[in-house]
Amino acid sequence: MDHLTRLENKSIYIIREAYYQFKDIAMLWSVGKDSTTLLWLCRKAFFGHIPFPIIHIDTSYKFPEMYRFRDQRAKEWNLHLLIGRNEEKLEGGMGPDQGSKLDCCNELKTNALKMIIKKYNLKAILLGIRRDEHGIRAKERYFSPRDSQFKWDYENQPAELWDQYQSMVEEEEHFRIHPILHFTELDVWSYVKREGLPIVPLYFSKEGKRFRSIGCVPCCSPIDSNAQTIDEIVEEIRTSKTSERAGRAQDKENIYTMQKLRALGYM
Amino acid sequence: MGKEERALPIVIVGHVDHGKSTLIGRLLYDTDCLPPDKYSEIQKSSEMLGRIVEFAFVMDCLEEERSRGITIDTTQTFFRTSKRRYVIIDAPGHKEFLKNMITGTSQAEAALLIIDAFEGIRDQTKRHAYILGMLGLKQICVVLNKIDLVDYSEDKFLELKTDITEFLNKLNVRPTFVLPISAIHGDNVANPSEKLSWFDGPTVLQALDTFHDLKIEEKPLRFPVQDSYQIDGKKILVGRIESGHLTKGESLYLLPGKKKVVVKSIQKFLEEGVNMAHFEESVGICLEGRHRVKRGQMLTADLSSTISDKIKANIFWMAPMGYRAGETLLFRCVTQEVRCQIEKIYRKFDPASMELTEKDASSIQSAEVADILIQLDKKVVVDPFNEIPEMGRFVLEREGRPVAGGIIL
Amino acid sequence: MKSVSKKMKKALIIGIDGVPYSLLNAYIKKDVMPNLKKILSQGFRLHQMNASIPDVSSVSWTSFNTGVNPGEHGIYGFTDLKPDSYSLCFPNLRDVKAPPFWDILGKGNRKTSTLFQMYHPRIVHPYRSIIFNVPHTYPASPMNGILISGFVAIDLKKAIFPESVYPYLRSINYLIDVEAEKAKEDKGMFMQSLFECFEIRKKAISHFFEEESWDLLFACITESDRLHHFFFDASEDKGNPYYESFLRFYVELDKFVKYLYDEFTQRYSGKGFFMILSDHGFAPLKKEVYLNRFLEEKGFLVLKKDGNFYERIEEGTKAFDMDPGRIYLHDRDRYPRGAVKKEEKLNLLKEIKEALTSLKGEDGKKIIERIYEKEEIYHGPYSGVAPDLVCLPKDGYDLKGSLERREIFGQNLFTGMHTWHDAFCLLPEEITFSDKPSIQNLTEFILQYHAE
Repeated sequence: MDHLTRLENKSIYIIREAYYQFKDIAMLWSVGKDSTTLLWLCRKAFFGHIPFPIIHIDTSYKFPEMYRFRDQRAKEWNLHLLIGRNEEKLEGGMGPDQGSKLDCCNELKTNALKMIIKKYNLKAILLGIRRDEHGIRAKERYFSPRDSQFKWDYENQPAELWDQYQSMVEEEEHFRIHPILHFTELDVWSYVKREGLPIVPLYFSKEGKRFRSIGCVPCCSPIDSNAQTIDEIVEEIRTSKTSERAGRAQDKENIYTMQKLRALGYM
Repeated sequence: MGKEERALPIVIVGHVDHGKSTLIGRLLYDTDCLPPDKYSEIQKSSEMLGRIVEFAFVMDCLEEERSRGITIDTTQTFFRTSKRRYVIIDAPGHKEFLKNMITGTSQAEAALLIIDAFEGIRDQTKRHAYILGMLGLKQICVVLNKIDLVDYSEDKFLELKTDITEFLNKLNVRPTFVLPISAIHGDNVANPSEKLSWFDGPTVLQALDTFHDLKIEEKPLRFPVQDSYQIDGKKILVGRIESGHLTKGESLYLLPGKKKVVVKSIQKFLEEGVNMAHFEESVGICLEGRHRVKRGQMLTADLSSTISDKIKANIFWMAPMGYRAGETLLFRCVTQEVRCQIEKIYRKFDPASMELTEKDASSIQSAEVADILIQLDKKVVVDPFNEIPEMGRFVLEREGRPVAGGIIL
Repeated sequence: MKSVSKKMKKALIIGIDGVPYSLLNAYIKKDVMPNLKKILSQGFRLHQMNASIPDVSSVSWTSFNTGVNPGEHGIYGFTDLKPDSYSLCFPNLRDVKAPPFWDILGKGNRKTSTLFQMYHPRIVHPYRSIIFNVPHTYPASPMNGILISGFVAIDLKKAIFPESVYPYLRSINYLIDVEAEKAKEDKGMFMQSLFECFEIRKKAISHFFEEESWDLLFACITESDRLHHFFFDASEDKGNPYYESFLRFYVELDKFVKYLYDEFTQRYSGKGFFMILSDHGFAPLKKEVYLNRFLEEKGFLVLKKDGNFYERIEEGTKAFDMDPGRIYLHDRDRYPRGAVKKEEKLNLLKEIKEALTSLKGEDGKKIIERIYEKEEIYHGPYSGVAPDLVCLPKDGYDLKGSLERREIFGQNLFTGMHTWHDAFCLLPEEITFSDKPSIQNLTEFILQYHAE
């Protein structure tokens, strides 16, 4: 069995297992290449009929190409699409320039997700997170419990033994499941190519720039690149030294530093 | 564009001070998987401290690299030989990390067991060797590190080799290689060394290159049913082929009831006319006729499985709180989840000393190993671990969390 | 097997973040800290000491670690702006331009300073140090010994050198810092977690003291600073619900200091070098003072609505403030939208100083105690990037760099604030000072002890 097929089969197994264990689940779709890959794997797992909703958390600041892509796929693939928006804060004019980017992300993303989880009584969320992403995420497991404060009890991760994934324990309010944890960035691109998956054109170079990762317009900056095909992107990644989220305005560690300084009144 | 070839996952275990970091650094450096500018930085700072280049610094520098955004996974480190790529799965060597270590090891397909030639076998060494054996790792290379501290002595090496081989054999672990090395000086890791001219075995890299990464498919079919979907009027059973393969039209047994069934079709999204499904594939199957099938049942090609509600097993207790006689646990083996109790604890022993600690015990404590008899609420389908490992491994859970890992005897 | 050391110089330094001289003195007199009292009677003296300017921990500890002023070590606060921009950055160990004393002693150093040049030739053998939880030593870098970074450190794996200490720290659930964010939610829980963190801290320090080989051990306790930020109002108020807990902390501190001191003197037959110090003091907080709002009202600062933090600075700005009282002129040569020319600076500084001096609290009294111009207090190759003015407040008025407040005076949940004049040090009685010492003066004594 070749490498990509092995990765694919493992993911499908995890997705089916998650559905069995939790039933009330949903998949978080950021419309990026990783979560679109996850979406495709869900389609494979359920033979084209995904039995749970696909959630898009819309901060209203996303690129227009993303909205177009989202709506096209939802129609083509017959998705049960739920759009999560923090209407209250958006009406109040919330944005990255109103206060801090941290607050904006918190309200428009994190809280919007919390609201939708509560509304639909979801027990678990499928996410397209990979292990090789920057720093702290390297510690995530396939099944990762979160308590209702969205904190992550890092110290007490349950042992994952021989694919026996965690089933629900009372205190934990919802689980996060990461079926593509074992895919690297290169694996995702190879898989996208192999399967002929559609992805948002922003990933490809236009006028010497492209986006390595896509999110909200005000906080995403493109990188210099001439890569217009997947092969060229792969080549670029192999030789490049900047991590995937170099384009994003948030530097995770600086954010934590800021949080800690703030908590003691130093900011 | 080349596909990312599969890296052979290996784990390096042994006592924390026996040179694991240095060995990893050396493996990376000697295979040119360490960026050159990193090396000169390490060299400079080491010289400042008046010491020879310490490859343990490599790990610190890799951490820095990661912080600047270069994609290096802290839990997985890659290196390559001319033959293939390897990925080192992080497995720390401290007592409290046994839980994590098992998780690390269980994904590995080969192991390097590192022992300080000067210090010799420690408790941690024994404990890890035991777990390697228990988890079915057959491709094991023992490296006797810091051979420079015993003056590259052949006699000392042979003495240690005999000791460790004897100990490992008691655990039913037969290492494929036992090699003398000095990670810090680079002797016999990637390149043979003049100082070890009396040694006629391979280097560490050569030894690793002989390990296999493919599991054979010639075993009988085991397809545990994971779930059942109703799609487009069809009832599709989904699951992963844990051993063997299956063909369209094949006649199979549905266990534990031993009912005979026929495979009507193999379902794969967007693929028509699939004739065969292979080992490790997650597929869908439709059976001829109507049958009541649910998760936990098994499709097999023959009746060689063990079908019983009483199983003899060997377990390693991981949770800090031990087991008390009469407690109900959950037995999980592939997709089977059945309540059970430990009916009898035949023997308990401390994996470090391999000493029998108790016969006919009534409890099991953290980090203990025991031979037990499990009584299940209903029959399950399993196989002995040394025949079909995927069907011979299980987990015991208490209140939703794994407390022990075990193998079926 | 560790080889037996032939060197006879041994040093034990205990840092206790944020403990004021006046409070310590009071507790010693009231017999809350009998062990410290006893130590003082055995050949030691307690001195009141000045912290660094400004008095935040990152600057103060760095001044102690390097033994030089910020003009030489380059750290002026927890926050700074990236050169030629308005982007906020957080200086860390990599940005410290002078070597810490343990690198001078360990002979494994790449940086230089006046202190280094003076003592480097006189340190003959390399000394091995354990530097534990000292603030502003993150990320950890290779040195002769063991380093475990203190505040602000995010990733434990990057906060240690060498890697081999990691498993031990994980096994005791080591925490770099107590989660101050929790104090908002539940003060009682926070107090509890503070004590838990303190326990782990003590455990780890004892472990390294006993199990590792070292010539110098410098361990810092930072829980005191956290305690003071949130509970300083309890320090001498018997009616306060946290009074008992506050006292209990100091009692435990006293016991722990005794333990370390006794072990140390016993092991080295009283011949080692022993000292204790804090990096600044604390006082009850009356009001927070938002200098940026003040500068805005006086017309020195012009902010636009959108942007992050200092990116909001508009062209018309003459000066702005960074936490906790650092005033920077909006220099044409330093900032992209800067318009202040060299010739204008002198007058501008005068204007601002006058305005600040006129700032009064609700009692009608001045709140700024002292204002320094940079040439007065900073000397060295990095004094160019220093703040043009640094303000030191009267006790009770905490100067803050916030850009978001709409009033000059305000309140928060903190009940204690740093003081720059009330730190302490405990030293062998042979050491005397003619003037009140500053924190960066102490380092030299450590080097002198080890020098030949």
